[in-house]
Amino acid sequence: MRAPGLFSDGYVEADGFRIRYLEAGDGAPLVHLHGAGGPRLTPAHDLLSRHFRVVLFEMPGFGQSPENLRTTSMPELASTMAQAIGNLGLDTFNLMGTSFGGKTALWLALQAPERVRALVLEAPAAIRQEGAASPAGSPEEIALRLYAHPERLGAILLPDAATRAKTQPLVQRLRGPDRDADLEGRLSGLATPTLVLFGTLDRVIAPAMGRIYKETMPNCHLVFVYDAAHAISTDRPEAFADVVADFLDRHEAFVISRTPTVIHP
Amino acid sequence: MKVSFFETVRYRAPQALPSEWPVPSGAYDRDAGAEAYRGMIERLEYVEELGFDWVSVSEHHYSPRILSPAPMLSAAFIAARLKKITIALLGPIVPQSNPVRVAEELAMLDTLAQGRLVVGLLRGTTNEYLTYDLNPAEARERTDEGMELILKAWTEPQPFGWQGRHFQYRTVSIWPRPLQQPHPPTYALGTSREAGEFAARHHLGYGVSYGPFEVMAKATRYYREQCARYGWEPAPEQIVYRANMVLAETDDEAHATLRAQPNQAPFAMRAGVRDAFMKLDARNIAGEARAPIVSGALPTTFVGSPDTIVEQVRRCRDVVGAGVIDLSLHPPGSAELEPLMRSLELFGKKVLPRIRGM
Repeated sequence: MRAPGLFSDGYVEADGFRIRYLEAGDGAPLVHLHGAGGPRLTPAHDLLSRHFRVVLFEMPGFGQSPENLRTTSMPELASTMAQAIGNLGLDTFNLMGTSFGGKTALWLALQAPERVRALVLEAPAAIRQEGAASPAGSPEEIALRLYAHPERLGAILLPDAATRAKTQPLVQRLRGPDRDADLEGRLSGLATPTLVLFGTLDRVIAPAMGRIYKETMPNCHLVFVYDAAHAISTDRPEAFADVVADFLDRHEAFVISRTPTVIHP
Repeated sequence: MKVSFFETVRYRAPQALPSEWPVPSGAYDRDAGAEAYRGMIERLEYVEELGFDWVSVSEHHYSPRILSPAPMLSAAFIAARLKKITIALLGPIVPQSNPVRVAEELAMLDTLAQGRLVVGLLRGTTNEYLTYDLNPAEARERTDEGMELILKAWTEPQPFGWQGRHFQYRTVSIWPRPLQQPHPPTYALGTSREAGEFAARHHLGYGVSYGPFEVMAKATRYYREQCARYGWEPAPEQIVYRANMVLAETDDEAHATLRAQPNQAPFAMRAGVRDAFMKLDARNIAGEARAPIVSGALPTTFVGSPDTIVEQVRRCRDVVGAGVIDLSLHPPGSAELEPLMRSLELFGKKVLPRIRGM
């Protein structure tokens, strides 16, 4: 029994890496692949762990893990993570990817479509506006750009300089071009039920990128989260977790409202 | 300077009506109502002939004062009857509406009117909170979110869901889309810091109403500052100023007409409700708190002879920065049509040609 909201960590071996994960909750498995800043628990994880067995991985080279000089491409990272998930005993699962991890999740789903029940992409970085400048400024400024409501975060957690120095070359190596023709070409054949979410105030990736997933993928749904920036699940965790849980529960039938409107019986 | 005629659909009551808002529906006279709408079209044909650029309509409920609870219907009817004039829908009361429905109706209207539509979006006057049970504490947030959703519904080509604070939709994909692209010229209306910031962020126009030039200038200055912060500069016609005008052959006559008007709020509520709203309805001018307008007549900022009015319009342009004036030419509080038609004629012949080139 894994209590919701109480995340405990563990390790799993995969592909020669020792990979840390955080886990809470019971129910259908929901695997989360983090963004370029590394794994970070948000209130949305707590909310989702009331419905799902939430497993947040620390991908090799991120967070507390040692520097990863070995992984050379996003498909390779996806393959490593697919093994890690399998070694936890999860044959089929829901898969959520945030920003950078959204691209990892897409590659994983392309490699093992039969294992992924549904995909959730939070502000995915797999398709980016061409020619847009990379985030510039101090680490604090770059971090602040992620949020519309930093007050909900308490303090902004900045990865320390050593972690940034360790992670940045890996991110640069794996993120790929703004428009990845190989990936986009494959997406048209990916029938996995997919939910793409963008905050209306995203200043890292233009929310208009969302429509390209919708246009490309045969079973894709686009939702704008009002008044959220790139870090949707921190800015508006309740709104985020609500629509994600509903989508994972009902897939495309999530468009049918179940909200009662009776005022008094 | 562009000039807009604010069509208030005046209803001439056959007998005196209670002044308190909401006005009892049972006091409505059907013949007077039919006459009000017939008169509207006759009047607007003349307005178009005089060369006004826009005719504007607005949304008000439960009152004979402005007989237009469904401004989309007014606008569609006018668009069908008049061939040239631009219809300015200023505007749907966003917080009490279904924003997707508003986006659909405006897109349809723009298409029906062959692109002759201008849109203003607003929070609405204080009394309107009562119309459909809107919580004043939520009105600002619902307005901002609703406006954002309307813009998204107009411009997003793929079906999308909306996970809002006050509105939730799992799939939105409107048909028709607006004829004008990306959408009709749109204004955020109101003096508040929030309206100015929203307009600037979305590259929209901005509109203020009734207040003295210097006071409204605080709001338009704030809007311009915000536009600069977002890296753009509004064109003159992106600032609208709506006002009462009392025009006569001489200054003395105009002032006498104004003095004869009752000093009564357009939608006067009973004291207990009015006082409660003084506490509950938070309004501001560019961030500076102001009381909600719940008592006393609205100011009349254009008063005088044609010569005087021309100078006042020039001051309005210089002080407020307005490139469009939206005018109510009725003596405020009067439903009589005769004085309206006189000032309309005078305005069309002796004022309009002289302010056109400003």
